[in-house]
Amino acid sequence: MNRAEILEKIGTILNSVLGHSNFELNEELTAKDADGWDSLTHMIIITEIESAFGVKFKLKDLNKLQNMGNLIDLVSGKLSEK
Amino acid sequence: MNYSIRRARLSDIPFLAKTVMEAEKSATDKFSFSTLFNKSEAEALELIAAMFDEEVDGCELSVSSFLVIEFEGKPVAAFSGWIEQFEGESNSGLLKSNLIGYTFGRESLSFLMTKAHLVKDIQIEREANTLQIEYLFVAPEHRGKSLAHQLISKHIEEAIKQFPSIKKVQVQVFKNNLAAQKVYENCGFSIVKSAKSNDTEILDYLPSDEKYLMEKELN
Repeated sequence: MNRAEILEKIGTILNSVLGHSNFELNEELTAKDADGWDSLTHMIIITEIESAFGVKFKLKDLNKLQNMGNLIDLVSGKLSEK
Repeated sequence: MNYSIRRARLSDIPFLAKTVMEAEKSATDKFSFSTLFNKSEAEALELIAAMFDEEVDGCELSVSSFLVIEFEGKPVAAFSGWIEQFEGESNSGLLKSNLIGYTFGRESLSFLMTKAHLVKDIQIEREANTLQIEYLFVAPEHRGKSLAHQLISKHIEEAIKQFPSIKKVQVQVFKNNLAAQKVYENCGFSIVKSAKSNDTEILDYLPSDEKYLMEKELN
């Protein structure tokens, strides 16, 4: 799965959890840029991503995330371990 | 009296978990980590201890954030304090979310999401570059000895020493917790903001339908 495909799949999850797509889906996207992406929805977004890709993130890695690009790196790394 | 104040250590985790529980209950029987996640109190306490074990710094559930007061070698009071997003560090809310999500698991989070609207109503954003304090507990037999005051003063003193540019300290408190509000008022805090839910269901899950943000300027 390439980066664009991972981004698209995460985008679908964001639309579903946040209930809208009023944000620019790109590698620079941060939680601050998407309405409703707060500490509560963040929990469910991460667990939904883990479930959709069949991976489990390490807490240390989650805490380093700064933007969507980092999240794609994380998913991509986990998928390559499979 | 033989009270001494120090930074918390890993061996304090059972006491810190109890501190979180008692502070969250805010003198009621509503323990949010139990009610909002569909867990028993015992399960929630174990999961809180597991979160402390992860040793994530920079939020209220970090062992490193806590000061404790001990009496005859045992912790009897504790209070968490940290600098919010100091110079671009991570938002404590997201760190706490990662911790909870990682520890509590998908089923509990799905339950939480059905009640998320209640939590959102009384959510107050934490301000970057401020000293945040949270989760105060003093064992009942040690109350009335100004231990809370000592913990607050020590947090402020250490924060100013380490981060001289810090301008204020903030604490969030449920409206029903008059005893805590009195302590904070006596320490120079005043209410600067409130957030209220009009959904009566909230009282099945949380100690109050209203939360205050109290603040003290640091000079």
